[in-house]
Amino acid sequence: MQEVNKKRGAVKFFFWTLVAAGLFFYAFYTYYSGQMISWYYYKAKADGFAVNARALTGHSKENPALLTIGSFDKIEGLQAVPVKKGDRLPVNANGIISKEQVKKGERVVLEDKFLKVLVPMKIREAKGFKFKDTFMHKEIQTNPWSGVWNVVMILSLGFSLGLMAEGFTDMMGYKLEKIEHFEGAH
Amino acid sequence: MFEFAIAGIQAPLFLLILTGFTVGIVGGFIGVGGGYMVTPALIVFGFPGYMASGIDMTHIAGKGVVSTIRHRQLGNIDWVLGMAMIGGTMLGVEQGVRLLTYTKTLGLSGIILLTASVVIMLVLFVYTQLETGQAHKKMAQMTKDGEKVGREMTVSRGPAFFQRIPLFPIVRCRQAKIVVSMWVIVVVGIVTGVLAGFLGVGGGFIRVPALIYIVGASTHIAVGTDLLEIAVSGGYGALRHSMMGNVDMIAVLFMIVGAMFGAQFGSIATSYVRGPAIRYILSYSLILACVGAFLRLAYMLTGQKYEILSFFAVVFTLGEMIFLCLFIVSLVYFSVRHTHGKPVPDWVPSLVVVK
Repeated sequence: MQEVNKKRGAVKFFFWTLVAAGLFFYAFYTYYSGQMISWYYYKAKADGFAVNARALTGHSKENPALLTIGSFDKIEGLQAVPVKKGDRLPVNANGIISKEQVKKGERVVLEDKFLKVLVPMKIREAKGFKFKDTFMHKEIQTNPWSGVWNVVMILSLGFSLGLMAEGFTDMMGYKLEKIEHFEGAH
Repeated sequence: MFEFAIAGIQAPLFLLILTGFTVGIVGGFIGVGGGYMVTPALIVFGFPGYMASGIDMTHIAGKGVVSTIRHRQLGNIDWVLGMAMIGGTMLGVEQGVRLLTYTKTLGLSGIILLTASVVIMLVLFVYTQLETGQAHKKMAQMTKDGEKVGREMTVSRGPAFFQRIPLFPIVRCRQAKIVVSMWVIVVVGIVTGVLAGFLGVGGGFIRVPALIYIVGASTHIAVGTDLLEIAVSGGYGALRHSMMGNVDMIAVLFMIVGAMFGAQFGSIATSYVRGPAIRYILSYSLILACVGAFLRLAYMLTGQKYEILSFFAVVFTLGEMIFLCLFIVSLVYFSVRHTHGKPVPDWVPSLVVVK
């Protein structure tokens, strides 16, 4: 009987390992092909300039970042693309510098065909923790279907990993009995 | 170091997997998602606060499914109880989030949140400690007298009171061997859901004691059934967070790998111990999390002048995960030793089972 269980366990383990591996492979493929990132940085939530916030790292008031404004399909380094609320974001864009932010003129100044970023990063606080507040993720709208994709993916992964582990213990002959909750005095 | 393009940071993969693993052990053992431990850890690794919450919630959904599958095998899930509670929990979580939004408009959310967390955790800790201490004493005495001690022992009078409420419909939870008004289960779900939504956590640390001390489930069944709840409510939370752009899915994938191994160990470890052992670990996790939250509250109330308070809050929260894991591992170790007739400390025999 134990032998049969081990065999069934082995089949179960290898089947669900394949499923889990397939799901991982698909998730990483989606990530490295840029699909997952384009779902995340999907549309502009406000009027302003789409930028690659990472290109602003290291700049400061003393050494401001000078972004060239233009209608680029793909943002390369210090470039900014004017966008309106609801526009699809260009490739490599990961944040919006909103018109309000430019109007304020504290962190960003508009100079002819350039956008001058003076303060790309501020230290802020939330729930008692300090974190770096940059233009990354600002005014970005994520594709709502990516939320459904995430949930389906994580639940499917959890399910296949759970059954894979169950198959593994069966395969190794480690039999888990149901707990007798109400035996003896309680 | 791995570059997370969505979160826009570089973080050590090993630490992410390790965090998933340790919280998986604790969560699988005491039936909590572990959000109060994971979110601070992710912030320390460099993830923005909102993304730390989203990643945490999404990984909890996956971990909930992994743990639920194992607890189902151990017979720790009462499906009727779980399903009846899920509706109430979802309704409660929505109301809790609205309450949180209201306190935000008053500009007080941070302080109110931390104060509420500290008070709730402290009350639960004190009650669980007192009750479990009495149950442990009773079990130790029975072991000494040579009586056969069962898996479970509670001395709380709450379940008897709540099970007497005669409101229609009355449900029979076969696995948990409970006959109780559906309204008791739903109201417990709503109240714990409101607290969970308000505090921004999965709510396991409130729901597990509620299932034991109000509904009357045994500790093992409370843990397994709560993990079923966490899988469902975590899935809903993950959807909301993902739609708001708070989730870097790649970070979640790495965490779930660690969590899968941890959740297996934590879930299986429950079969080595008696109910009070799980309740002890739950209460210790509450007091440690409470101290962490208190330090953060003190930091905020002192105008964020004393950085050392914030630093110790993080150290405490991370240290808590390691401490709890070691405690669980040591219980399993002592159980195995006890089974093989080897000497164990005096407090062990009444907390573990001989397999």
